[in-house]
Amino acid sequence: MQHYWFGDREGGACTPAEGDLDALAERLDRLRISMASFTPLAWEDAVACGVVADRREYLDRLRALCIRRAEETIAAYYRQGDIELLQMVRMLDETDTVINLLTERATEWYIVRNPQFSRKYRAIGAKKMLSIMKKDRSSPLARLAGEIERLAAERTRLMREVSARADTVAPNCSALVGGLVAARLVSRAGGLAQLARLPASTIQVLGAENALFTHLRSGTPPPKHGIIFQHRRVHNAPRGTRGRVARVLAAKLGIAARIDYYRGELSPAFLETAQRRIDDAAGVA
Amino acid sequence: MIRIDGVLVSPGEGGVYGERMLQGYRVWDPRRSKLAAMYAKGEGRDLEPWMRILYLGAANGTTVSHVADYAACVYAVEFAPRPMQDLIEVARRRTNVVPIMADATRPAEYAPLVEAVDMVIQDVAQPDQAGIALANLPFLKPDGVYILMLKARSVDVRADPETVIATTVRALEAGGLIVQAATRLEPFHRDHAAIVCTRQ
Repeated sequence: MQHYWFGDREGGACTPAEGDLDALAERLDRLRISMASFTPLAWEDAVACGVVADRREYLDRLRALCIRRAEETIAAYYRQGDIELLQMVRMLDETDTVINLLTERATEWYIVRNPQFSRKYRAIGAKKMLSIMKKDRSSPLARLAGEIERLAAERTRLMREVSARADTVAPNCSALVGGLVAARLVSRAGGLAQLARLPASTIQVLGAENALFTHLRSGTPPPKHGIIFQHRRVHNAPRGTRGRVARVLAAKLGIAARIDYYRGELSPAFLETAQRRIDDAAGVA
Repeated sequence: MIRIDGVLVSPGEGGVYGERMLQGYRVWDPRRSKLAAMYAKGEGRDLEPWMRILYLGAANGTTVSHVADYAACVYAVEFAPRPMQDLIEVARRRTNVVPIMADATRPAEYAPLVEAVDMVIQDVAQPDQAGIALANLPFLKPDGVYILMLKARSVDVRADPETVIATTVRALEAGGLIVQAATRLEPFHRDHAAIVCTRQ
């Protein structure tokens, strides 16, 4: 017997598949075809089967079915929370870059307009600089400075949103390293499913790809940490133990990512032992 | 194939991806499309109005839209969600395109949907491109033609493209295909080749 989207065919007989597009789609998902005994369908069979009247109707119905199925698959794919998280993290990083670029450019402009101005000895950060520029007599510069400030505020809101989203998508990873770092790890791996399949040694150097490949190519010292450097236990550790802390943290993150992906809930028991191991490695009592 | 002053074009509604128009025809740029590059080099078999085509690795439907301008109907298989969204949009406007979201390495997934075709065009960035071709052979009519767009770098980044092409050709021949021609797509695409095969 041959199974086709419009029905089953056995010898000369044809049993049409019943129901609307949704029923047809569901039936397709259930079909298990073996290519060994497969013969391609002939569209005339669909007419003989009484499903459609002619070629035009055949194609239209098939297209409607395929479009419906594809749209559902795409929607289900995007519904996994980590897909949107990916875009949010990338947006956050791009926004950072843009804010820095714009602030630098505006500052250069401000300096030209104010020949006696200098940032030397004054420790003027980007934020302070923006509020100074907002008072400039040139209204385009002042307005732009105001816009950059607003963008910076929006960036802070987005950061909180990312962190909160990471808490729900990857609760255990977030508990270990904080929502933002967890989100960055998920983003760099390409999704939670991908992160859960990475070995700890890869997680350890995620985000340090340049250093890693320079090491592999020309034998420079290998990177000890990538994104996970942002965790306080790693960057606060003395240089001598930093590698060890990074290694242990990465190992625990690997397990955390798997719990997040396959179980999807917080595991206090795991977190407690993991946290202890990380603290031990860092030499904290 | 239609050429205006040597420029490959296709007849159809324009504005799919911002392509240039020439005397009411859509310009089919060999630098953007590997299939167009193959035709620009004078290789392959021309698309005919009666042809039914299976296109594996349809991506955003850019090349598919041109193929659909020439052929009777195109079964466009794509796996990734992001390009699939664009492909669906192309299929909504072009009523001879059937968009199928499935993995070209698993033909059983879309076997109930696809009829026997006159031409298979395969353009997938996968390591085992010859294996995918052989797995999809059941869809090709006995007198049909299989066009494999080989991305040599997807098979093996470090190997010499010539070696990859030769290996792929051997694998296809071992699988029962007759390789008519294997053409490098330089200068339009680096490290790509179009392999044209028939079954008999």
